Amino acid sequence: MGRDELTDAVADAHRRGWARVLATVVRVTRDLDAAEDAVQEAFAAAVELWPRQGVPADTTAWLTTVARNRALDALRRERTLARKLPLLIVPGDDAPAEADPIEDERLRLVFTCCHPALSLPARVALTLRMVCGLPTPDVARLFLVSQPTMAARLTRAKKKIQAAGIPYRVPAAHELPDRLPAALAVVSLLLTEGHTASRGESLGRPELVRTATELAEVLAELMPDEAEVLGLLATVRLAAARSTARLAGDGLVVLSAQDRSRWDRALIEDGCALAARAMRRSAPGRAGPYALHAAIAAVHSEAPTYEETDWAQIVALYDLLLAAAPSPVTELARAAARSHVTGPAAALEEVTALAADPRLAGYHGVPAVRADLLRRLGRNAEAAASYEEAAASTANEVERSFLLAQAAELSGGGCPQG
Amino acid sequence: MKYMLMLFEPDTDWDTVPETARTAALDEHAAFIAYLDSRGIDHSGAALRPSTTATTLRPAGPDQDMLVTDGPYIELKENLAGFYIVEAADLDDAVEIARHCPTGTGTEIRPLWDATS
Repeated sequence: MGRDELTDAVADAHRRGWARVLATVVRVTRDLDAAEDAVQEAFAAAVELWPRQGVPADTTAWLTTVARNRALDALRRERTLARKLPLLIVPGDDAPAEADPIEDERLRLVFTCCHPALSLPARVALTLRMVCGLPTPDVARLFLVSQPTMAARLTRAKKKIQAAGIPYRVPAAHELPDRLPAALAVVSLLLTEGHTASRGESLGRPELVRTATELAEVLAELMPDEAEVLGLLATVRLAAARSTARLAGDGLVVLSAQDRSRWDRALIEDGCALAARAMRRSAPGRAGPYALHAAIAAVHSEAPTYEETDWAQIVALYDLLLAAAPSPVTELARAAARSHVTGPAAALEEVTALAADPRLAGYHGVPAVRADLLRRLGRNAEAAASYEEAAASTANEVERSFLLAQAAELSGGGCPQG
Repeated sequence: MKYMLMLFEPDTDWDTVPETARTAALDEHAAFIAYLDSRGIDHSGAALRPSTTATTLRPAGPDQDMLVTDGPYIELKENLAGFYIVEAADLDDAVEIARHCPTGTGTEIRPLWDATS
C-alpha cells in the first residue's frame, strides 16, 4: 500500500468517522479530553497498522473499537488518580433502550458543543474541534488567534461542560425551538465568515464554507424534518451555486452585475427545493429566520435577470424576517430591496434614518447601500464619497478594492476595474 | 449535582416595603418552594439583608491585618439578594428549576464544588 493511498484512506476515515467515533467513546470515558486522546490514539494506530493489515472494510467500526479499548486502558491506569472534574452527565445511560433508535450519536455531540450556556465563539471552536475533528492549530488559524489562546479557550469550554453539568444528550422535541438556534448560529457564523471574510486579502474563506456545508448536511441528515435546518442547508446550497460568479479575476462582482449563466443550475434547483420544503414545514405565518433567509436567496436565484427579480416578494419576506428576528442589518437589506419597488429616494430616507442606529456604527454596509442609492439618483459626488466611506470601514481587501473602484468611476477620473 | 441559584435585584429593605408587597413576594417564594417539594428536590436557601448593610474585609497591604470596610465587595446596581441551593440532574434541569424561581433582575446558576467526589 502506497503512502498516498494510506493518507487518503486515513483522511477519508477521519472525515467520515471522527465525530461518530468520538461521540461513542465519550459515552465510555464520560470525559471529553480523555475521549479526544483515545480517538487520536486510534487514528495513530491506523496509520501504523493499516499499511500492514490493510484498510478495514468498516473504518469507523475499527477506529471505534480501538479508541474504546485505549480509553478503557487509560481509565484503568488512572483509576487511582484523583479526578479533578466531575464526569460528563450522560442521561438515560442506565435506562433501557432509547425510545428513538435512529438517533445518531453525533447529534449528542453537536448539541453538547452548541449548548446555549457556552458563548458563541466557544460553541464554534468546540464544534470545529469535536464534531469536525479539526486539529487545534487549524481552529486557531480559522479564528486568527494563537494556538495557546485557542487551546485555552477549548479547555475552558470543555471544563465548563463537565463542571457545570451540561448533559450529553439530544434535547427533547419540545426543547428544540430553544436549543436549535444555538447550533444553527454556529453553522451560520462559519458560513457568513466563509462567504465574505471580515478581514484579509481574499474575498471569502472556502475552508470555512466547506466546514459549514458539512455541518449543515449532518444536521439535515439527522433532523430531516426541521424547517430551520432545511432552510440553513438551502442557504448553503444557494450560496455555493452563485459563488463562482461572485469573482472575476481577483475582483468582486455584486449580484446586480453577475453573469447568471455561470450559476450552478443543479445546485440552485436543489437549494430552491430545500427552501420550499423549509417554508412548507414551517408553521403557517411562523416561519423562522433560516427558512426565510433561504426563501429570499431562492427568489434571487430564480430571477432570470437582476431587473426581473420579484422585489415585492423579497420585501414581503424581509417583513416576515424582521418580525421573526429583528435586526438593523436586516432593516438595511429590506431598505435596499424596497428601493427597487418604491424608488431610491424613499429608500435613501430610510437608510439615512438607519445610519443613526448605534448598532450599525462602523458597519460598511450602510454607506455602501447609501452610495448605490445616491448613484441611482444621479448624485455622483455624494455617491463617490459614500463608497469611499464604505471602503474605509471594511477590512476585506477584495471588498475594499471594489468599493474604491466604484468611487473612482463616479469621481469621473478613474477607470473602473473589471 | 448541587447548584446555587443566586438571585440578583436592586437593593430592597424588606422591613420598609408595604406589607402587601412583602406578602406577595413571600408568596412567590412559597410557591417556588412548593414546586421544589412537589418534585422532591432537596433545597435550602436564604434571603439577604440589602447590600447597604454589608461589611467587607479587605487586605490593607502586605503583612497587615485585614481592614474592615463599609459596603459590599463589589458595588453593583443590582446585588445578591438571596440564594437557593438545589439538587438537579444536570444544568438543563437546574435551568428549568431556576425558571420557576422568582427573580428580580437575573438569576446566576452556579454548580457547587463537590469535595467528596
